[in-house]
Amino acid sequence: MVKTSPLAAFAWRALITLLYIFLLAPIIIVFVVSFDTRKYLAFPPESWSFGSYIAVLQNEAFISAFWRSLGLGTIVGIGAVAIGTLLSMALTRHKFRGEGAVNFLVIAPFIVPNIVLAVGLVLVLAAFKLLDSYIGIVIAHLGVTIPYTVRTVTMSLMSVDRRVEEAALVHGASPLQVFWRVTLPLIRPGIIAGGVIAFLISFDETTISLFIVSVKTSTLPTEIYRYLEYSTDPQIAALSVVLILISVAVVVVVEKLIGLRKAV
Amino acid sequence: MSNKHVTVEKLVKTYPGSSVPSVDHVDFDLEKGEMLALLGPSGCGKTTILRMVAGLITPTSGHIWLNGQDMAQIPVHKRNMGMVFQSYALFPHMSVAENVAFGLEMRGVPRAERADRVERALDLVKLAGYGSRRITQLSGGQQQRCAIARSLVIEPNLLLLDEPLSNLDAKLRDEMRDEIRSIQNRTGVTAIFVTHDQDEALSMADRLAVMSAGKIEQIGTPRQIFDYPATEFVANFIGAGNFFTGRPTGARTAEVEGLGSITIGQDIPADHDARLLVRPHRFTLGAQGPNSFSGTVTHLVYRGETLTLDVEVGARTLKVDLPTHAGALPERGQTVTLSVSPEDITLIGAQQ
Amino acid sequence: MTAVEKKTSRTLLLVLLLPGLLALGISFVAPMLWLLRASFSTSALGGGDGWTLDKYSEILTDPFYWRVAGNTLNYGVTVAIFAVILSYPIALFLARSTSKYRGILTALAIAPLLTSSVVRTYGWMVILGDRGVINSTLQWLTLTDAPLRLSNNQLGATIAMIEILMPYAILAMLSGFGRLNSQLEEAATMLGANRFKVFTRIILPLSLPGVITAALLVFVLAISGFITPRLMGGGRVFVLGTEVFQEATVTLNWPLAAALAVMLLVLFSSVIVVYRRALRALEA
Repeated sequence: MVKTSPLAAFAWRALITLLYIFLLAPIIIVFVVSFDTRKYLAFPPESWSFGSYIAVLQNEAFISAFWRSLGLGTIVGIGAVAIGTLLSMALTRHKFRGEGAVNFLVIAPFIVPNIVLAVGLVLVLAAFKLLDSYIGIVIAHLGVTIPYTVRTVTMSLMSVDRRVEEAALVHGASPLQVFWRVTLPLIRPGIIAGGVIAFLISFDETTISLFIVSVKTSTLPTEIYRYLEYSTDPQIAALSVVLILISVAVVVVVEKLIGLRKAV
Repeated sequence: MSNKHVTVEKLVKTYPGSSVPSVDHVDFDLEKGEMLALLGPSGCGKTTILRMVAGLITPTSGHIWLNGQDMAQIPVHKRNMGMVFQSYALFPHMSVAENVAFGLEMRGVPRAERADRVERALDLVKLAGYGSRRITQLSGGQQQRCAIARSLVIEPNLLLLDEPLSNLDAKLRDEMRDEIRSIQNRTGVTAIFVTHDQDEALSMADRLAVMSAGKIEQIGTPRQIFDYPATEFVANFIGAGNFFTGRPTGARTAEVEGLGSITIGQDIPADHDARLLVRPHRFTLGAQGPNSFSGTVTHLVYRGETLTLDVEVGARTLKVDLPTHAGALPERGQTVTLSVSPEDITLIGAQQ
Repeated sequence: MTAVEKKTSRTLLLVLLLPGLLALGISFVAPMLWLLRASFSTSALGGGDGWTLDKYSEILTDPFYWRVAGNTLNYGVTVAIFAVILSYPIALFLARSTSKYRGILTALAIAPLLTSSVVRTYGWMVILGDRGVINSTLQWLTLTDAPLRLSNNQLGATIAMIEILMPYAILAMLSGFGRLNSQLEEAATMLGANRFKVFTRIILPLSLPGVITAALLVFVLAISGFITPRLMGGGRVFVLGTEVFQEATVTLNWPLAAALAVMLLVLFSSVIVVYRRALRALEA
């Protein structure tokens, strides 16, 4: 590499550091504020304790929203990856008429802003009387997560050597067995990555959810939003920290299990 | 201070965290217009030396002199050296002419003169008329010529080439080998090139330095290296060989186990065993001269112009290359007699 | 292929495609079609069999909506420019870094995407609020008496959005910086270019496609946003996103919400078309 003067190198490092701080500032601040227990928004925190966390754990609305998000996220994660795997198999391994259209359909949600989709979903779910239901939320989240799962599974699928599958066939396995015993294990990284991404998207999803949830079915992010509309109680910081930690934990655990980087 | 064009003196490079230097007290020098090859296996330090001469890596210690000037104080972009990278490193967003003109632009050469010099440089590398092409439209060989033109148009003090032929296919390689040599001769530019291919080094360089583990094992003309290897490593690296250990029995004779008495063409030091080398193509069929052995052909490969044989002589297997001819050739299982003349036996480490 | 094999193939295909088509049909295709239909609808619920351009004319003739559109574009452009400027050094640093921390630092730059934008918006409320981090620090250093109005206005919404979208910009730039490599910089330096020339003649031109992609990505995300403008804007920031949300969930004027959403989509698509033309022109 080319040498630079020490002053220039230092200035560059300093700039990068400042930019990183800017990038991570809100998250850091949320962590810090979560240890405050005052009832209003101010900085720096006066008292340092887990008071807000305890308050959060005792807040019925928060707790039920948390479990709802977790449950919905899991269902969406599993559902999106199952559907995505099937779609991916069809698109990658088979030729059929209308393949282009299906390909486009899978990519389309990427290029439509969530908010536009949200209005459409409100209309559709209202028509089917699903506005106040979990099924509605699951359906809505599937729309935005399936494109991701199709992508991760496809990437895994494309790296599978067809000849391994052919070898299995030659040695007596039926196509279904080949899929179950050979293909599926080989695309595990893509499936897990897809499932995790779908879970995280659903867990953190706010835009669409705000349009279609009600008080009864609120998710964690929507709960936080509603709370923020009226107050900036640091309790919300504690709840936000929980949200952040769960997302990070999921990624870290999966990374340790299968090395996420390989699949994305 | 020597009056050579380029002098490298006690050059050392040790990377932090490593206890062993990558380049270990390397010395060499170059006359003006000379082409030196740095040859060795990967990891021997040859590319590190090239990059230190270029200024891209700072030496841990040692000096690099160009025209009597110490390069240590001179930053990379002021050294006026040309470099052809292994991957050519052509600027993808510029045309061929813009690439070649880049160095001239950096030197503030006026536009008209630039265009003129670029045209002449493209002529030199046989890319005349390609000026307006985009880099992506060029083949591998053409890209390389463009890279050469770019580094020569600035009339550099020194031309550095990093494995220039390794990215080309075999046929192109032969062609470019001759071209690069011819261009270097015509322009008279002093050049250093790095390679791991002994054919390249032997055929292109005025002198070559064989390197291993950060040190130069031997430096000399191709003939000197091939016929008078200084160490076993050099003998092994360049060309194939049959190695023997001989106990000196006379001024020019030695006893080799399993082969008997061997006579060579130079004096053998009497105080230790001699390491001897016979290249496979130096054997002849038939009994002639003092060095004759009989053996059985255990393996042979017909290669069109050459016949490669494994001949078992006693407990030893000799590797032999014989020229083919239209008549009968030795066959497997056959007993043959081989001879090698005393001049064709190499004493490793001998003085010439 | 025998007749039996062909039939199995078709059933298989059906099994593979049906769940996905069904799911995407209900969660994407139907909403988009309904949206289009609703924007022309006469009924308040978006259905019915009336067709009218009422909502569109309402939007296009109301100066309020023109201001909203202008504000949205302004917002998008400002956020895009600054997000790109601030992300460029980080992306450049990560693309050229050879240190062993490169992976961690890249993950760190992208990690904010793991958190919901609500959470990060809240963080900005704390930082920019009247009694937030910046104001408290300034007052503690006695540099100001009264708090600076950094929150509950357009400024706050802009700053927060810039940071929230930076990871997208960094990602876009990193994937667009493919043609950069250190050998090109070394070649330029050997040919006599100093650091500044290497940047302006080599690094900048080659990173431009990545920069444009990043700018586009941030722009379209910014003009579609509503959470950050609404929370940070204190009810004073009006962009298309906030209006859509307002009409769809508060006023419950679904046809209007649909019309606004369609206009947002049109705006979005035209920007992408312009972008592709620009990129093609750049490549040539």
